Amino acid sequence: MGTMEYKGDIANIEQVLSGNQGAFAYIVDHHKDKAFNLAFRICGNREDAEEIAQDSFLKAFRSLNGFKMKSSFSTWFYRIVYNTSISYVRARKKGILSLEDFPADATDFIGDNSSEDNAEKEYRNALIGFALQKINEEERGLITLYYYEEMNTDEISDITGISKSNIKVRLFRARQKMIDIVEKVEKRKLVYHE
Amino acid sequence: MNKQDKYDEDLLSRYINPEGIEKAPEGFTVNVMSLIKAEEETAKAATKHRKRSLVPVISGAVTVLLMASVFLISGDKNELIPLPALELLKNIKVSLPEIDLTSLFRSNVPLTLFYGLLGILVLSLLDRALYGVFHKEN
Repeated sequence: MGTMEYKGDIANIEQVLSGNQGAFAYIVDHHKDKAFNLAFRICGNREDAEEIAQDSFLKAFRSLNGFKMKSSFSTWFYRIVYNTSISYVRARKKGILSLEDFPADATDFIGDNSSEDNAEKEYRNALIGFALQKINEEERGLITLYYYEEMNTDEISDITGISKSNIKVRLFRARQKMIDIVEKVEKRKLVYHE
Repeated sequence: MNKQDKYDEDLLSRYINPEGIEKAPEGFTVNVMSLIKAEEETAKAATKHRKRSLVPVISGAVTVLLMASVFLISGDKNELIPLPALELLKNIKVSLPEIDLTSLFRSNVPLTLFYGLLGILVLSLLDRALYGVFHKEN
């Protein structure tokens, strides 16, 4: 499905509630990338993220009647994605990754047509993805909402149901853990090059 | 925010590129809409099935009531009826018509057989009417 003309969440929700289910496609199209990204950052792989994002849209569709038009649809919807992702990950707890699981060199990220610059970007992207998988699912959600979705602590609090002060504390801890992992991997990279 | 926290935040910001979000796969919207459609169809089919299953339930209930009435409601007016509900029925003066079939057919056909046939006729009409109501949407 191509890019659709977007009328606004409320207008589309009203359409869906009045029986035009097709209008929900506009809502899906508008929110799919952010929903997918949040699910992906929390669960760590594309297949599961797709399942979570689809499941979240289905849940939103089923409970659209319960949505209060006064609040923001995106906040309400991301709460569904966040909670679905957390439950999904908790149900399928995987083993903890070891530092050895991460490639030591950026050259491992050079594809057939990519430059070294691109490889460095890919490396950093992969490294941050790896560090994310080393922290717990709740912290992953907070980091994603704060850094990728660029939300403030008020918005994050609305989505996660965690108090603002608690979000700050958890973000602080999550950041420290991630920095620790990034630095360890970078040190290993230096050793690898020596 | 203290110095260390600021440093951590800056360092992490250098690694995280908000532009580089993972995009949903091709055909994602179509897949979601297909799932919604499939779910709606399943729900509709379940509702239809529920409605259809009401027909035999209603018919069965009416049959049971008719059969019970044959045993419980006596044609003898002097007989005492112990059940309060039947007492009430008696008070509202609802009674089945007494037709002398023996004179009509000149045979000794029991009255219960006539009521049984009448019951079957009523049930058939009821079944037809219910079929018409519940199968309209088809």
